[in-house]
Amino acid sequence: MIAGNSLFKIYGKGSVEVRALDGVDITISRGEFVGITGASGSGKSTLLHLLGLLDRPTSGSLRIDGVEVSALSEKERTAFRLNRLGYVFQDYALVPELTAEENIFLPSKVRGMTSKECTRACRDILSLVGLKDRVSFLPGEMSGGEQQRVAIARALINNPALILADEPCANLDTKNSIVILELLKKLNHDLRQTVVMVSHEEWHQRYFDRVVTLQDGKIISDIGT
Amino acid sequence: MLEEEQVAFFLASRLITRGNKGTLLLTVTIIALVFVNLIFLPSIIAGVVILFNQQTIDFSYGNLVIEPRENELVITKADELQQKINRIPGVVASSPRYAGGSTIVYKGRSASPLLVAIKPSDEVQVLKTHTKVISGDFLTDADRGQIVIGRTLAGSADQKVDRVASLGGAEVGKTVEVTFRNGETRQYRVKGILYSGTSATDSNAFITRKEYESVMGVSDSANQILVKTQTTGNEDAMRITLMQYGVQEQVWTWEDKSADFLQSIVGSFAIINFISTIVSLIIAIVIIFIVIFINTVYRRKQIGILQAIGIDRSIIIKSYIFQALFICVCGTAAGCVLLLLMLQYLTASPLVFPGGPVAPVLELSLVLQAVGSLFVVSLIAGYVPSWLTTREEILSAIRG
Repeated sequence: MIAGNSLFKIYGKGSVEVRALDGVDITISRGEFVGITGASGSGKSTLLHLLGLLDRPTSGSLRIDGVEVSALSEKERTAFRLNRLGYVFQDYALVPELTAEENIFLPSKVRGMTSKECTRACRDILSLVGLKDRVSFLPGEMSGGEQQRVAIARALINNPALILADEPCANLDTKNSIVILELLKKLNHDLRQTVVMVSHEEWHQRYFDRVVTLQDGKIISDIGT
Repeated sequence: MLEEEQVAFFLASRLITRGNKGTLLLTVTIIALVFVNLIFLPSIIAGVVILFNQQTIDFSYGNLVIEPRENELVITKADELQQKINRIPGVVASSPRYAGGSTIVYKGRSASPLLVAIKPSDEVQVLKTHTKVISGDFLTDADRGQIVIGRTLAGSADQKVDRVASLGGAEVGKTVEVTFRNGETRQYRVKGILYSGTSATDSNAFITRKEYESVMGVSDSANQILVKTQTTGNEDAMRITLMQYGVQEQVWTWEDKSADFLQSIVGSFAIINFISTIVSLIIAIVIIFIVIFINTVYRRKQIGILQAIGIDRSIIIKSYIFQALFICVCGTAAGCVLLLLMLQYLTASPLVFPGGPVAPVLELSLVLQAVGSLFVVSLIAGYVPSWLTTREEILSAIRG
């Protein structure tokens, strides 16, 4: 599913050079639920950004679903993100002027789904994330946990093979965090979707199949749970 | 491809309907005012040009002017030619005249106006000068020893008021001394004073043809025949018709005769209009640009996120172009309403110019040009800021 070899991400030059990723080799199989942990500045978010095609490695090779993504053009990367990836942000990142349903079906509209198909798919996904009664709510009218579930629903709408979640519980209380983690676990289990989630909370690790720990841009441990 | 536009339109519609209404209203209002400004001044100018044209026809030349053949000073057998012209289809009437220089003295003040000798019964059928007598009466065919003068020529007792050489306040019933081109001097009683609003006419003096012929010792001749036609606007065709009917004298249209004057006026107005239009369009482009730019900067993070979830930047740019076009359409519609109200008001209470009231004239081409300009301006002002913002790296946009 994912094969990253000798991934480097270097910011700055010379004496101010910062190696956010320092020769990372990582392989993730289809259907895995992988947690990436580490201290602040360890490179976990940088790695997720590379996997999410939001950034390019300084050097190294990255293959996702058999495609060498580091060689793709900007337009191809956008299309890849749309069709094959689902990204969940720490702060939900919903469009405030769109309702829950509209936020969710936006990516599928770009793919050319009809309004009827979009609505049906949205309702199904909102039921899946337990928000079918929030269809026409604006983000400002929902709690943080509900917004994050809408964000997850948005990531799912195009049925991606890979879901990337960047500290999705960072702004949530424990109760809501559990809801989100269980939801991700359920998706991973029921839909066989590969999930890569960045987290610095130790108790989250019980939901992961595997925990990859980074330190100073290097993988220092890669343990199955 | 159409899906992209649909998504862009969907995004734009939601951002507009659920965005800040106050900002939207303010922007639309400003665009409406820019639209009004784009049309108002040219429509006034069009009104002024129409007024000047009508005045030229009504008080100076009629529709056509016949002048002596080349290398000749007068039209001989003028009465026969007049009858011939009057029989031509499309001609309403004609008026032979003499027009030449003179010197008029009143109470020691002298002026050198154009002295026009007319047959009043013919003249009233071609021009409307007789309707503009503000004091005394117009001439009749039988008048001898009487003169009608324009208000500008009559002048005022207070020299400071007069902008050109005048008779210093000649009045009806007073006597003026006229020296003709042949050097003969005669006394005339002022029968009337007229004010047409046309500077050329208001600076002239008028006597009857009979009177002129007796002084100059000529008969049955003229140096100008003015012609009134049934319709205005087909002067070129009528000119050809006159020539086809055997008129061998030089035939000019009123536009030919007033070309220099009108062209200089229209040219000056065109420069004013051009500057005003450019300023208005710059204002429009800056306003829409600022609104869209602030909007995109404010939504920088959101734009980054949209790109991150796979929304192509072209869709995002299009959504901002749609927003700019929406502002443009609403502003234009509001501007149309505002303009119609203003036009209604100014038609009921026209602006008063020297020469008469001027009502703005709204031409469809002008409206289409203004709409087109605003449309292009909106496209540019919507495209540039959104293009600049979406060019940014996704991560730095998301980080804000």
